[in-house]
Amino acid sequence: MIKLYDYVLSVNCYKQRLMMSILDVSYQSIPVDFYPGWEHKSKEFKKINPLGHIPVIDDDGYVLRDAHAILVYLAAKYDPTGRWYPVSDSELIGETAQWMLFAEGTTNTASAARLHVNLGYDFDIGACRESAHRLFRVLDDHLWFREQQGRNWVCSGEHPTVADIAIFPDVILSEEGGISRLDYPALRRWTDRVKRIGGFTTMPGIFPAGPARRGRSGNAGPIPD
Amino acid sequence: MSPDPFTCWHPIASTPDLPERHVFHGQLLGRELAVWRADDGFVNVWENRCLHRGVRLSIGINDGRELKCQYHGWRYSNRTAGCTYIPAHPADAPARTICNRTFPAVERYGLIWSGEDPTGDPPAVAVLDRGTPFGLRNLPVNAPPELVLERLAQYRFEPNGRLHYDDGEDVSVSVCHRDDWSVTLASSQGGSTTTAVFFVQPVDSGRAVIRGVLDETPGEDRRLIVLHHHNTGLIQLRDDIEAEAARLPTPEPMVASIDRVSVELAEIPEAPAGRQASLRVRVARKWEAADQIAGFELESIGAELPTYQPGSHIDVHLPNGLIRQYSLTNEPGRGETYRIGVKLEPDSRGGSRCLHEVVREGDVLAISEPRNNFPLRRDSLCTVLVAGGIGITPLLAMAQTLQKDGLGYELHYFAQSEQHMAFGDVLERLRPSLVAHLGLSPDETARALAEILAHRGDASHVYTCGPAPMLETTRRIAAEAGWPDHTVHFEYFKNTTEIDDSSSFQISLSRSALTLGVAGGQTILAVLRQNGVPMPSSCEQGACGTCEVAVLEGEPDHQDVYLNDSEKERGDRIMTCVSRAKSDRLVLDI
Repeated sequence: MIKLYDYVLSVNCYKQRLMMSILDVSYQSIPVDFYPGWEHKSKEFKKINPLGHIPVIDDDGYVLRDAHAILVYLAAKYDPTGRWYPVSDSELIGETAQWMLFAEGTTNTASAARLHVNLGYDFDIGACRESAHRLFRVLDDHLWFREQQGRNWVCSGEHPTVADIAIFPDVILSEEGGISRLDYPALRRWTDRVKRIGGFTTMPGIFPAGPARRGRSGNAGPIPD
Repeated sequence: MSPDPFTCWHPIASTPDLPERHVFHGQLLGRELAVWRADDGFVNVWENRCLHRGVRLSIGINDGRELKCQYHGWRYSNRTAGCTYIPAHPADAPARTICNRTFPAVERYGLIWSGEDPTGDPPAVAVLDRGTPFGLRNLPVNAPPELVLERLAQYRFEPNGRLHYDDGEDVSVSVCHRDDWSVTLASSQGGSTTTAVFFVQPVDSGRAVIRGVLDETPGEDRRLIVLHHHNTGLIQLRDDIEAEAARLPTPEPMVASIDRVSVELAEIPEAPAGRQASLRVRVARKWEAADQIAGFELESIGAELPTYQPGSHIDVHLPNGLIRQYSLTNEPGRGETYRIGVKLEPDSRGGSRCLHEVVREGDVLAISEPRNNFPLRRDSLCTVLVAGGIGITPLLAMAQTLQKDGLGYELHYFAQSEQHMAFGDVLERLRPSLVAHLGLSPDETARALAEILAHRGDASHVYTCGPAPMLETTRRIAAEAGWPDHTVHFEYFKNTTEIDDSSSFQISLSRSALTLGVAGGQTILAVLRQNGVPMPSSCEQGACGTCEVAVLEGEPDHQDVYLNDSEKERGDRIMTCVSRAKSDRLVLDI
């Protein structure tokens, strides 16, 4: 069974829990005392990940670090339909890679602001917030035009991809870092849609969506399996 | 800007911002708003905070009829914003005073218009009224609204029909109109003209949203090109405006005045009102809901009808002077009307006969505000609803609410025949959970009830309404099957017990420091009113619970059908319209 070196309040660990919940993959959570114990910086943990970061997974001896890399691995291995990491479609996989890199940006700005506020990390909070707003503006613009094209997700396919899973947690917890989403209505609607993906799960600070209206689709509607 | 912005209409969202089951987060003049569309199409614009702990309702759940706060689950009704349910007090109906602040909403030109205290109508724009309005992507700008409006006048764009075709041909853009909150620009090129109206929403002193509407909808093949054209141009303009605003001193943010919620709000019962008919409604529809049962749909004249919960009833003041109670059959948050069902009683004293024979569509009736003495818990995974005849009415509202909330229930409907089953349209929707018991004798009814109540899950509750003998049977069988009193909820239509009003006794009012005598033939309620103590009441026959008062000392002589047996035994509450005292004196908490 997959072991996930995990911390309940970590956005990047949540990304893995969310992906595995959606893909219905069972795993064992191994708690790491990230705060206040800084266990991820301990000598013992650095034997698992010399960078001293979580998450890390151990899939039957195969060890992988870095949140967005793990998402790629999980989707490639455990999604038999090949839709979450669409390698068979060159354009779509290119977009997926592009938005996975964008997710590095949201993690390093929006989620960094949250670490600063919640767990006392020493970041330039003003710069984090400003950069996060810049990224959110781009994403809101992008998602608004996606809606105009009858599409619901970050990439141009009909089905969500690992890029949605990589970006969503940074966005939905942004208010904990003092980054309001008031100015991003299309981004807010997209978070409703992600919450309605079958198998969606929450973490502290993330609330579930209410049910979509039965028999309806559209912007806030459910996605087909 | 000259006129008071607080009395103007402003656009606060666009129509596509409000998909089903979504809550839009808005802001106007420093005040945050939660904006949501209910399943009936109504657009709710509310103060963005839960009355309980102030959590933003924009992160709440829009279930199509109610908005549920994510924090402690308080629910608020579509249209009125009245509180419909408090999970921490599942057995109680929230006081009507628990109501969020609402703002008006009008949809026009694909925009949602609202305001703090707007006068008149939202602006009418002739060029949009004549055309086929087409909304652009809205653009929030971090700059003072005045500056945004000023710079918008310099915005340059190409007409829809010529985009990208005639590069090099001169575009001429002119300002056609400008007022305090909008600027209208016309772009002409090679004989083709497009007019654009840009409304500036004052979000705060240093923030605005540009909401642009074109006078003509481009063809499907040009739609995205036009949208991108303006989005690119407006983003360029926004960046310039923001760079300019960054060089100016930052204005003080506006501070919206938010009414304080009093601590007692959730605790205090409604102000005693007596039997007042404070509402006027029009009979929008009257129809035969079943054999001998007339359905009435009552619509408001003017303001929205007050909030109600499943189990609520109203007093209907009839043209012939009689007052009758009827349960509301529709679920909260659905539509703007009250629905009631009225059975023609063969021995009618004039109440049901008057409604059946005299009252017609279009007539105006006086009714009371809804009261709820039969509140529905929404914390039970399985609820058993037992209706006898016209007793279906409150249970219909309950069944629809439970269905909407995804909670399990069985609706057992005892009726003479299928023709006697009322509100077929609603029953159709409840079909999988509906069990009809038709044409049963009293003995057969008792056997059926015994079967229904034989097994119960831990969390179950029973709600029953119907004729008195059936309620007695249901309560007896439930007690025999081991259902505790507090899990069996009932509502009688009327009190059929013979009232003995021969006793005479004293009542001491602990808070009013009054001692009054109640003589034979008088009721406590009448004596209180004669002495200037205001008391609410409704049925005045011991069935509805409205005139309940707490008893501090003395032994009540209960003659009502509202309290259950263990409540009667406790002796700490009394229905002042029919019940009396066994002791010489009662001390009442009024």
